[in-house]
Amino acid sequence: MRAQDILSFSFSAIKLRKLRAGLTTLGVVIGIAAIVALLSITQGLQDTITRQLQTGFATDTLIVSTGGGFGLGAQGGVGAADSGFKLFVNDTQTINEIENVSMSMAIIQKVGYVQFGGKNRTTTIVGVDFAEYANIYSSTFVAESGDIPLNPENDTVVVGQRVSDPWKNRTLFCYVNDNVEIIWTNATARPSKNVTYTGHVAAVLKEIGGFGVGPSDSSVYIPISQAQSFFGTDECDMIIVKLKNDDKTTIDSVSKVIKEAFSNEASVTSATAVLNILSSVFSIIQLFLGGIAAISLLVAGIGIMNIMIVSLMERTREIGILKALGMKSRTVLLVFLCESVIIGLMGAAIGIASGWVLANVVSVAFASFSGGGGPFMGNQATGTIRMTITPVLTPTVFLGALAFGVGVSVIFALYPAWRASKLKPVEALRYE
Amino acid sequence: MMSVTISVVETINLRKTYLLGKVPVNALQGVNLKVESGDFIAVLGPSGSGKSTLLNLIGALDKPTEGKMLIESVDVSTLNDNQLADLRRRIGFVFQFFNLIPRFTAIENVELSMTISGLSKAERRKRAEDLLETVGLRERMNHKPAELSGGEQQRVAIARALANNPKFLLMDEPTGNIDSKTASEIIGLIKRLNEEKAVTIIMVTHDQRLAGQSKRIVQMFDGLIVQEVVN
Repeated sequence: MRAQDILSFSFSAIKLRKLRAGLTTLGVVIGIAAIVALLSITQGLQDTITRQLQTGFATDTLIVSTGGGFGLGAQGGVGAADSGFKLFVNDTQTINEIENVSMSMAIIQKVGYVQFGGKNRTTTIVGVDFAEYANIYSSTFVAESGDIPLNPENDTVVVGQRVSDPWKNRTLFCYVNDNVEIIWTNATARPSKNVTYTGHVAAVLKEIGGFGVGPSDSSVYIPISQAQSFFGTDECDMIIVKLKNDDKTTIDSVSKVIKEAFSNEASVTSATAVLNILSSVFSIIQLFLGGIAAISLLVAGIGIMNIMIVSLMERTREIGILKALGMKSRTVLLVFLCESVIIGLMGAAIGIASGWVLANVVSVAFASFSGGGGPFMGNQATGTIRMTITPVLTPTVFLGALAFGVGVSVIFALYPAWRASKLKPVEALRYE
Repeated sequence: MMSVTISVVETINLRKTYLLGKVPVNALQGVNLKVESGDFIAVLGPSGSGKSTLLNLIGALDKPTEGKMLIESVDVSTLNDNQLADLRRRIGFVFQFFNLIPRFTAIENVELSMTISGLSKAERRKRAEDLLETVGLRERMNHKPAELSGGEQQRVAIARALANNPKFLLMDEPTGNIDSKTASEIIGLIKRLNEEKAVTIIMVTHDQRLAGQSKRIVQMFDGLIVQEVVN
C-alpha cells in the first residue's frame, strides 16, 4: 500500500470521529503549550538577565572582593565568614603590575542618604575614580544631563537616574547643579554619629536598568579621594580589574595570580564565571519546569492510548475486512500509528502556537505588574530589579516540542496498533 | 488419474478443530475437494456442517488443524503472514453481510482492494468504474453503503472482489441477506461472470435456485462431504 494511501486512510478514520479525535488532540495541545510557554519564558528570563549582566558587568573585567563566594550584589560575597581580610585602595598598585591587567580601580561604597529640599532618600554612596570608572563601564556610566568631570572637585557628585527622578514621572528629587547634602551614619563611632557634606550635582546618569556590579540607577557617585576622607577609611569594598582581553586563559591566569597575591583571601569573580553558573542554574530550572509540563503530556498520551483502543474495538470488523482483502499486518500497524502521528502532529503544532501566545501574554502581564510598581526605595539590590521578559522560542525548544508531542503519541499508540495488527482475520470478521 | 491442468484449489484430508469455550468442535473431519479453473461450485449443507469453516480455509483466512490446503499447488500452511496477505489479494471474497466500509463510497470500496495492492489512484479509479459498470452500478458509484439497497451493496462487494483479477471468487451466502427479487439479479450476475468471464466460483449457499445454477453441488454434513452432484 502506498504511503499517501495509508495517510488518507488514517485521515478518513480520524474524520469519522471528529469530536473524540479533537478532544484527544486538545490533551496534546495543552501538554505541548505548557512546555513551550514555560521553556520560552524561562529562556527569555535567562536572556534578559544575561544581557543585563553583560552590560553591567563587562566581560573583560574581574571583581576582587573580600567575600568568599561570588556575588551578584555590590556587597560582594554571600554569607562568607569574616576572615578579617581587608582590601585597601592602594592594593590596585599590586594588581596593576600583573601581566595582562590593563588597569584596576578601587570602589568604596556605603549605604547613606542624599538630602535635598528637606527630603531624604536612601542611596548607596559609591566612591570611584570617575575617569577609570567611565573607561570600564563606558556604556553605562554615561551622563544624560550635565557632564561627568574626569578630574572632579572634591564636592562633585554624579547621581543615578532613579535618584534624580525616583518616580519616573519627571517629578525630580534633584537635578544637575543642585547642591545636595550627602549623609552617612558612622556606626562604628561611639556614639554613632552622622557625618555630612554638601555635594554639587554635576551629572545625572542615563537610565541603566538591570543589575550587576557596574553603575546602578539608584546610587550616588563621589570621587574616591573624597570617599576616603568622608568615610575616614582606606579600606575598599572591591577592586575592579580591567583585563587586556576577555580570553578564558587570561581570565583564569589573572584570577589565579590575584588570589595568590592576597594569600587566597580575596575573592575574584569574573562575568564569564557568573554567566556560566547562571546558565547552569537556568538549565536546571528549565529541566524542572519542562518535566512538570511533560507530566501533562503523559496524561495526553494515555488519552491517545484510550481513544486508540476504543477505536480498535469499534473497527475490529473493518480490520478483518482489510485483512481479508489482503492488507498486511504491518500496514494495519502503520495505519493506526499514522492516526496517532496525525493527532500528535496537529496537537504539537497547535500546542506550540498557543504556548507561544501564552508566553507572550504572561510576559506582558508580568511587565505591567513589575513595571507599574512605583518607586523603589532603598539600595541597589532592590532598586534596580525591574525588567521585561521577552519570551524566546529557540529552535531546540520548537523542534523538541514537536518531536516530543509526536513521540508520545506514537509510543502510546504502539500497543493498540500492535493489537490491531495481530487480529486474526476470521475472528475480526466474526466480531459484532 | 493424472491431470494436466493444475487445480486452483485442492484440499487433502482437511481437518479443523476449534475450541468453543472449552469444548473442542470438529468443524471439518477430513475434506477432500478439487476445484479446477472455470468451476462453479455450490456448497450446500445445514448449519454447523462446516461450510463456512471450509470457505475460510480456502480463503486463507484461517489455518487447518490437519491436512493440506493447496492453492495452485502451494501449501497455504507453509506461508508466513506477509505471504498469506499477498495470497488473499488474489482471492475474491464476497460475504453474506457485504462487509463494505461504511465511510467510503461505492467506488472507494471497490478501489480499496486495489489500494491495498498498491495501484495508483488513476489506475484503480479507471478499473473500479469499469467493474461497477460490469455489475450495473456505475451511476450509483458515489453513494455510501448506507444509501444503497442490499442488492446494490452486494454488487459493490462483488465488484470489489473482482478488482485484483482473483484466482477464484469465494462467496459466503451471497444472496442470504437479500430479498428474492434482487437475489435473482445477483444470481444472474454470478452466472454471467462464470460463463462469460470464466471466473472460478466457490460458493456456500442455502439458496436452491442459486445452487441450481452451479456446475457442481457439494453436499456437506458434520464436517464431511457426503455427496457431489454434477449439474
